[in-house]
Amino acid sequence: MDVWQQLTFLLGGVPLTLSISVLSFLIGIAIGLPLAFVRAYEKEVAFLVSAYEKVFRGVPEIVLMLLFYFGLGPIFPFPFSNAFFVAAFVLGLRSGANQSQIYRGAIRGVGDEQMIAGVSIGLSKWRAIWHIMVPQVFNYSTAGLGSEYALLIKDSAYVYVIGLAELMTKAIQLKSIPPGDFVTPFVLSAVLYIALTFPIAFSLDRWGNKRKKKIGL
Amino acid sequence: MTDLVMEARNVYKAYHSKIKKKEADSCGETPKQVVEAVKNVSLQIRKGDIKLIFGPSGSGKSTFLRCMAMLDIPDKGEIYLGAECLTKPGADLNKARARIGFVFQHIYLFRHLTALGNVELALRQVLKLPKEEARKRALAALTEVKVTDCINKYPAQMSGGQAQRVGIARAIARNPDIILLDEPTSALDPELTGEVIDTLRDLAKEGTTMLIVSHEMPFAREVAEEMIFYDEGKIVETGPPSLFFNAPNTDRAKQFMTRIINRTTRE
Repeated sequence: MDVWQQLTFLLGGVPLTLSISVLSFLIGIAIGLPLAFVRAYEKEVAFLVSAYEKVFRGVPEIVLMLLFYFGLGPIFPFPFSNAFFVAAFVLGLRSGANQSQIYRGAIRGVGDEQMIAGVSIGLSKWRAIWHIMVPQVFNYSTAGLGSEYALLIKDSAYVYVIGLAELMTKAIQLKSIPPGDFVTPFVLSAVLYIALTFPIAFSLDRWGNKRKKKIGL
Repeated sequence: MTDLVMEARNVYKAYHSKIKKKEADSCGETPKQVVEAVKNVSLQIRKGDIKLIFGPSGSGKSTFLRCMAMLDIPDKGEIYLGAECLTKPGADLNKARARIGFVFQHIYLFRHLTALGNVELALRQVLKLPKEEARKRALAALTEVKVTDCINKYPAQMSGGQAQRVGIARAIARNPDIILLDEPTSALDPELTGEVIDTLRDLAKEGTTMLIVSHEMPFAREVAEEMIFYDEGKIVETGPPSLFFNAPNTDRAKQFMTRIINRTTRE
């Protein structure tokens, strides 16, 4: 296979890499955002959030993927025998822990005064969080979210252990074609990973900075 | 008695001083530095009243005002909004705060919203007005405080005076029973205080019920029906402006007035 054929073959894995990363990123928002606010504003249960963060930041995602897919898969075929689900779910759990920390820093950065002002106009605590804190927290955390997204793209490479035909799996398949080219597939996949991470992380950061300047955060 | 808008009965609030706490920790002692900001303060405000609280900084005026709006929860005593007791357990504080306008010393506009968005938020999300009506009332409030030129600006793009007037618009747009103002001009450049004072003067003319913490003495003299001298967590003396400007009864008030009037003339 020449380089172009190899590249075309690898590109076939990109949609799966992207969809795993995007889905796990969204799962990460759905987990991380509530956790951050619970940790900031519900002191009594904050320790649970901190325990969650420690577990999912501490255990390698490859361990969780193997555990969920091969360990739980046979016992609960639905949903754990679905490799795509396991991939997005495990990365999402980990991302939730990371994002929770990102948002917590942002909550501190946005400041308690915004909450007080929100409550002062008659909003309940959770509605003030939703209408006033959440939009600003996202503005504040664009840089962190950009690197978190890049991390997910990169970590999606681990899913080759559960056999999903994404970018990494495709590269390994290429390498295995006799006589065995151990350089080109990995160089090409490295370039593709950069192409997938850098532009989005960069533009998110830039948009965030512009926005932050505009609203004086 | 039915025209009583708000009442504080023996409100008490203390908090732990943070800096002192650290010092105490480093000495290995139990942190016990307690600041009594509000010591059994009672106050009644009737419809149309304009009362002005003044006194040295750090005396607890702001804490007392925040207790009135239940932004700080008093340790003891009761706060009444009309006939409703806000300090008894189960009181619907969100509903109550919707009827109390609060203007902050450091303004605290919502940074991610334009002037219009800042004023509209409560109308849409608290009063649940339909979009059109909320917009109309928000515009009316912004017109009233004369900031129509920055309707679509974000707080970071406004001057301090404009921002504070938007803060006032945010407080008045939902037609609250009372407006509490916590040193609305003291964080502004001296040249910008005038426009905010003018806005407050307009509100006063319309008969808005207001409790103001402020040291703007000429303004106080002009609009306040009652001035309240507050020191060390207590109301020391109350009376009409003429009392304070001529001959306050207490030495402490006399001292303070002398100092503040000297400062004003120097400026």
